[in-house]
Amino acid sequence: MAEGRILSSTMSDDTKWDGRDDAHTERSSAGDLPPREILELDHVYEALGHPRRRYLCYTLLEDANWSLIDLATKIAAWENDVPDHEVTDGQRERVYVSLYHAHVPKLVDEGVITFADESETITTAGNAEQVLTALAGMGATLDGAQETHARSEMNDGEQ
Amino acid sequence: MESNNGRISGGEPALSGDTHWRQVAQRHYEPDRDGGLTTPIVFAIAEAADVSPSEVKSPPLYETVDVAGIEDAFFGSSAGTAPRRGTGTVEFHYTDYLVKVRSDGWIQIYEPTDTESL
Repeated sequence: MAEGRILSSTMSDDTKWDGRDDAHTERSSAGDLPPREILELDHVYEALGHPRRRYLCYTLLEDANWSLIDLATKIAAWENDVPDHEVTDGQRERVYVSLYHAHVPKLVDEGVITFADESETITTAGNAEQVLTALAGMGATLDGAQETHARSEMNDGEQ
Repeated sequence: MESNNGRISGGEPALSGDTHWRQVAQRHYEPDRDGGLTTPIVFAIAEAADVSPSEVKSPPLYETVDVAGIEDAFFGSSAGTAPRRGTGTVEFHYTDYLVKVRSDGWIQIYEPTDTESL
């Protein structure tokens, strides 16, 4: 899936460049074009396009490996604004289910993480660096005092 | 199921074909409580299968249907003054079950049955 994405992305880029050359003839040299990285941000936006995936990626800044159950606990704690040990089974289960059935496979699709079915652990993958760099640039920090602020910004950012 | 509280209109699922279907579970999507449409769908499937939601494993719903797409079409954005309000029903198969997601928020799980009663 990831390879298919990269391939189609490359092909559509070629098309775009052709159109751009026609429409913007003043841009005569390749040096005036935006950096290629700008056109390859799909993974960043797809990965970070949901609050729970931002939480998940945020935890990856802290550690590259997580068990799904620990991840669900941590995210539930953030969402409910309680310490990890006060997360209820119900809160943890709701987050766990949405991670397992929606957000983890999405991030695997985007090449940000890998997921081991047997152990139910996630590990950063090839596109993680790009995504985490963007997330860090958006103001995420590992300073615990700023977690609350970061969370409110994340929630505000939801469409 | 005993939890049919009268808000569900009749009618056979359009995907039924020659199979007869019986509704075995339903759940109403509450965006504020559920946080996303995936969770209540999986909870409803778990109720139908009589297992805990975390035991519903294979396949991940993500591989079966674009839940985020249904969410956008029916339930719009949580912010903004004029959320989109598509109406209708999306149906898809998950393992042996037929799942219906209605724009009024009801998620209904059907299982195949050989009998025409019920």
